[in-house]
Amino acid sequence: MTTKTSKKLERKQLMSVFWRSFGLEWDWNYERQMNIGYCYSMLPVIKKLYDDPAEQEAAMKRHLEFFNTTPQLATLILGITAAMEEQNANDPDFDTQSINDVKVSLMGPLAGIGDSFIWGTLRIIATGVGLSLATQGNILGPILFFLIFNIPAQGLRYYLMGAGYKLGSGFLATLQKSGWMEMLTYGASVLGLTVIGGMTAQNVAINVPLAIGAGEEATTIGDICNTIMPGILPLLFTFGIYYLLKFRNVKTTTLLVVFILIGFAGAFFGILG
Amino acid sequence: MLIQAILLGLVAMLGNAEYLFGTCLLSRPLIMGTLTGIVLGDIEAGVRIGATMELAFMGAFSIGASIPPEMISGTVLGTAFAITTGSGPETALAIGLPVASLVLLAKNFGMVFILPPFVHKADECAKNDNMQGIAVVHYLAGFFGVNLIIGLCVAIGYYVGSPAIEAFLSIIPEWISKGLEITMGLLPAIGFGLLMKMIMNKANACFFILGFAMSVYFNLPGTGIAILGAILAIVLTQIKRSQTMQTAVAQGGYTDDDEDF
Repeated sequence: MTTKTSKKLERKQLMSVFWRSFGLEWDWNYERQMNIGYCYSMLPVIKKLYDDPAEQEAAMKRHLEFFNTTPQLATLILGITAAMEEQNANDPDFDTQSINDVKVSLMGPLAGIGDSFIWGTLRIIATGVGLSLATQGNILGPILFFLIFNIPAQGLRYYLMGAGYKLGSGFLATLQKSGWMEMLTYGASVLGLTVIGGMTAQNVAINVPLAIGAGEEATTIGDICNTIMPGILPLLFTFGIYYLLKFRNVKTTTLLVVFILIGFAGAFFGILG
Repeated sequence: MLIQAILLGLVAMLGNAEYLFGTCLLSRPLIMGTLTGIVLGDIEAGVRIGATMELAFMGAFSIGASIPPEMISGTVLGTAFAITTGSGPETALAIGLPVASLVLLAKNFGMVFILPPFVHKADECAKNDNMQGIAVVHYLAGFFGVNLIIGLCVAIGYYVGSPAIEAFLSIIPEWISKGLEITMGLLPAIGFGLLMKMIMNKANACFFILGFAMSVYFNLPGTGIAILGAILAIVLTQIKRSQTMQTAVAQGGYTDDDEDF
């Protein structure tokens, strides 16, 4: 960043990322969720900042990692990572791993706040207004529903693109220089994991309707497990999957196939439900 | 008949294409019902039935890793059959709900057997520095993995008629749909497992359990957990920072050394 001409992102690339972000969920998949959409959105940034094919490859791989958040607000994280890529391209001492660290730790909290705001609040308001007209067969119902939801939601998407980039190149760059970056990634991992824990409890579901005992004495295995701790089965199951992914290098495709077999067998024999 | 079937298929594909247009809620029954009404020439009925279906599917939305029933096909076909037979929203619901679960089977087929190979193809493109390739994979994956499947189901479903759909539904054994339901409950564990793999270690694993416990014992929603988690993160970061400063002062000056935690 001293004498050599620094690579700089222009408005053109940021606008391109903004428009590409509309397709984030187009190929949402179980393995890494919005990963291809994210990488596709970042391509203009990667193209502008890196000339060396090896650097381009590394950046593409980086952004093909797992990603999921509230799609309309994802531009905040896209903007921040774009700014971090810019610093990475100019500063050879930049900690490249911190790009994914920040990405991962932000997506959970942003989804926690964003899902409640976008899906829980904005969508409900739009639906309420739309329904009141639509139940009378008024075409204004669906039109207002669409506008009330999208004007604020896509407006936020636009605003957060610029805000994220500024945050990344201003605030985060200062943190990096003053040695606070490490603190930020630590704090972000605490927050990220807490939210992921909550999301696991809400999303992973295992029911065991298989009963032990007869007549009035009968209780299901699921109920017995829940008296130890509510949701203990999903918790242990998720930890098991984490173990297999991290320490046994099990492929996610393998897990996918096994889950399908478990599902069919569980339903067929009435063990799971 | 054939032209209407194709048009309804396209309406359904437009609904799913909301994922290409900023998740703008095109897929909601309120919009899908209206567009179905426009195709079949009875806008008012379409809007009215769409509103009823919207209430029925209100809770259905993909949040995080969960997937909703395939409400696009349910709404389009339910509304279409209700309009063509001249009956009301009850008929639309009665036809729509089983259709939604049938098409969900087809959609899950794409999710399991078509999308994952595209994901691996994208990895390959990155390895070969093929930016154009990633763009192509991005558009094709969503089109063949989900979009086309829904469009075909709706077009064929309208063409063969609701009795044929119900006959087809009745020969599918219960354990198949039930089994897919169980699998859907397990699948998010892969997503969270991958996240944990990236950021969890022995020292911070307790925070994962904390978030889990906040949810199961206190039934806190996502935002509540995020707020408490943020407070905890700020406090812990401040404590850690002051410790680092003290060590640095004790060592006779502040250094920027990396510290392993």
